[in-house]
Amino acid sequence: MRINLLIGLCLLLLPVGVLGQTPQATPPPPAAPRSVTFPKPTEQTLANGLRVIVIERSDNPLVSAQLLIKNGGEVDPPELAGLADMTANLLTKGTETRDATKIAEQIESLGGALDSGARWDASTVTVGVMSARIGPAMEILADVVRHPTFKTEELERLRQQNLDNLTLALGEPGSIARFVAARVVFGDTPYGHPIGGTTESLTRILRDDVVKMHDRYYRPDNAILVIGGDIKAKDAVALAEKCFGDWKKPAASLPSFSPANVASNNPGRVVVIDKPDAGQAAVYLARVGINRKDPEYFRGIVTNSVLSGYSGRLNQEIRIKRGLSYGAGSSLDARRDVGPFAASAQTKNESGAQVADLLLGEIGRLATTPPNDSELAPRKAVVVGNFSRNLETVNGLVGQVANLALYGRRLDEINRYISNVQAINTGDVQQFAGTRLDAKTSNIIVVGNAKAFLPALQKAFPNVEVIPIAEMDLNSAVLRKKK
Amino acid sequence: MNLKPLCRMALAACLLLTTALGGSAQTRMPQLKFADRTLPNGLRVLSAVDPSSPTVAIQMWYHVGSKDDPPNRSGFAHLFEHIMFKSTKNMKSEMMDRLTEDVGGFNNAFTADDVTVYYEVVPSNYLETLIWAEADRLAGLNVDDANFKSERDVVKEEYRQSVLAPPYGKFEYLLQQKSYSEHPYKRPTIGSIEDLDAASLKDVQDFHSTFYRPDNATLVVVGDFDQKQLDAWVDKYFGPIPKPDRPLPRVQTKEPARKSETKLTDHGANDLPAVGLTYLTPRQADSDSDALRVADAILSSGESSRLYHSLVYEQQLAAEAEARADLREDNSLFVLIAVLSEGKKPEDAEKSLLAEIKKLQDTPVTAAELEKAKNQIITDQLRQRENSSGKALALGEAAVLLGDPNRVNTDLSRLQAVTAADVQRVMKKYFTDENRLVLYYLPEAKSGKSTTPTTDSLTPRKEGR
Repeated sequence: MRINLLIGLCLLLLPVGVLGQTPQATPPPPAAPRSVTFPKPTEQTLANGLRVIVIERSDNPLVSAQLLIKNGGEVDPPELAGLADMTANLLTKGTETRDATKIAEQIESLGGALDSGARWDASTVTVGVMSARIGPAMEILADVVRHPTFKTEELERLRQQNLDNLTLALGEPGSIARFVAARVVFGDTPYGHPIGGTTESLTRILRDDVVKMHDRYYRPDNAILVIGGDIKAKDAVALAEKCFGDWKKPAASLPSFSPANVASNNPGRVVVIDKPDAGQAAVYLARVGINRKDPEYFRGIVTNSVLSGYSGRLNQEIRIKRGLSYGAGSSLDARRDVGPFAASAQTKNESGAQVADLLLGEIGRLATTPPNDSELAPRKAVVVGNFSRNLETVNGLVGQVANLALYGRRLDEINRYISNVQAINTGDVQQFAGTRLDAKTSNIIVVGNAKAFLPALQKAFPNVEVIPIAEMDLNSAVLRKKK
Repeated sequence: MNLKPLCRMALAACLLLTTALGGSAQTRMPQLKFADRTLPNGLRVLSAVDPSSPTVAIQMWYHVGSKDDPPNRSGFAHLFEHIMFKSTKNMKSEMMDRLTEDVGGFNNAFTADDVTVYYEVVPSNYLETLIWAEADRLAGLNVDDANFKSERDVVKEEYRQSVLAPPYGKFEYLLQQKSYSEHPYKRPTIGSIEDLDAASLKDVQDFHSTFYRPDNATLVVVGDFDQKQLDAWVDKYFGPIPKPDRPLPRVQTKEPARKSETKLTDHGANDLPAVGLTYLTPRQADSDSDALRVADAILSSGESSRLYHSLVYEQQLAAEAEARADLREDNSLFVLIAVLSEGKKPEDAEKSLLAEIKKLQDTPVTAAELEKAKNQIITDQLRQRENSSGKALALGEAAVLLGDPNRVNTDLSRLQAVTAADVQRVMKKYFTDENRLVLYYLPEAKSGKSTTPTTDSLTPRKEGR
């Protein structure tokens, strides 16, 4: 397929004028490709229910280990947005035997980095070090997961840091648009709030809330440990047993997570956040996408790739043809429950309405003018290439495998990924676009200096809601502060 | 918060330049074995075989950067970098994307103050195709006005996205602009809308013929290939490109030493004030650079670093605090930045940053702290060299900016040789009052409008606060 594609391109490239100083006017064709195989993960479950996965790769003296808790921001109580993230962040800020300073000192003296945080569907603690030092690093990883103290002074410190970071994010049109898009798509359901919390929710979180969150979700039978890199599987398992083997599983059963009912939301909203001092407008098209178990997962990621990436349709139309943005793209974030699809670009304020129109037009065009084989083949190559390059680093490898484990996929999917992508055809894309990415049930969000784009936007969308930045409220789907 | 280098596209992760440093006594740092040859036309070719993945990284390092922007064309080297993806005699616009992205690879490019680098990673069976393509765009461009103008609009959007939209974009821009008085480093890489608008197609042709020549380029190839075959392809496609007779222009301007402290204040759309300090330090190849790198790690690498521990953790003065040894070919900068916490005063952050500098000047760092900094730098380097493009970046930087590709392997011992006394010495030598620039970046009164950066938008701050 690759060879055919290149010959096709050569035919288009008729030499113009005399030959240049290079000896030939057409690119030489490729040689035969070499196949790719990825390392095979092995796994076992400790007696306490902790699932341990190891991926051996010895070409570089590095090891990464990631402990995942199988819940994250989606279990934040509605009034306490940001609680899961705060809980995960506080792990590294003190244990029964080490204070925050000592944890940072010890791990950084090993040349390593210890990071923790919550995302949607998971909370993670990750450590990466030179392989000779994985022993002491893993011991610290286990300590912060199992014995955090959640000291009040650390909570207060983190609260202020998070509030400051939120202030920084609320100064940037792109991050405001992301927050607003989540509220518009998911309303008041579990994926709707900013994962780091809002100004109001961050102020409400108490130590007791953090302790409860940790007690409820941080347990061996709700966790996965993935170790990858320059380490033998038996050594990795022995290390896991040593650091986590005596982690007791609580008697109480695991809390269950009830899926959100996003279908009840009111799609087709057009929301403008007016920020008069914005140096650029951020334009988003956002809607519900798919969950990770969806049988159409591979159709979804290939379809997204037709739109996204440098030569994807969005960037073609918005950047390459019209010079309206430094970059336009889209993302399909498949989660445990249905996640978002979003297409976006930043542009000068004056072009805000035009870019919204282009985003919407390209989503619609996917179903009416699906990619033919010569458009689709390169977009599939992009998906395969990104996937393969991501696996070149130990962190990438561990992250990919951890994700498969988190969502209950078979771990050998990394070695079937490429054929799954290659199997998608133009009819699949058309069907996915038509049934799952309908433009009419999508929402538009524009954050910027409204004066510059509002009249044009109102002409296209009479239902546009304009919210001045000072009146914006991220705590509910209404998005507007109560008068 | 790093203003440079600028990339062709924001969609792909932008690889940053990091100086290659060595490994620790306890750690086996894999040596990077490479071949080094120079064609009769002056093109230098560095190559390293690494068959661990069936891909190959190709990089063209041109020794031209934003310091070489023509007069009244600030931002031109970077605009030109974008234009290099438009048509040549043999390739139509965006064909580079067809040869890389469409076959499962990728391309990007970045412009820094001293270099412009074009890079691709492709399945290894496409190596010959890419050698052909890089030779083709070195041989000449053939860009039309419509393509030029549309790409210039893209760069103007990049300016808005990196300078105007982020709350501290203008702060970083000003910090660079104000840190040099004479040297062209005073022109930020992204340039200005005004100068971009003034650029023409003729500028493009002139710039190409002045700087894009084989004796100003280094080709780096790392990955899955056969050395003999590569050499033959390089000879075949790059060999016929002639070396021009004209001399290569080089920046001759020397940045004068600073004579007294400069204090400046400006305003922007930021909600939290920021403070920046810069010090002029010597060129990247200077032997003091190693100790300055170690000082950078001690001050700001990780949460046990001195700035984080003091300003963010203990005093809770700052939301962010960082230091960076911004190493450049002609004259480097050492930059310290604090973004303040809600309700804190910039004067206090400045005082604390100065106190941390003084501590390093007054008391030698402990052996443990020195060892930690070295371990952090080594691990970062191991991570950078995990894949072919990282290895190629390290090779290119050593060859073009340090003048010796062997530095990818010998920097280990240079780093290990840095002592606590060295760190103290460079702190005393460069971090003097007269060598300091201080920039306060304060929130605009909410009713006011923010200014676009220009050379006269800054008001000198009065002494004796």
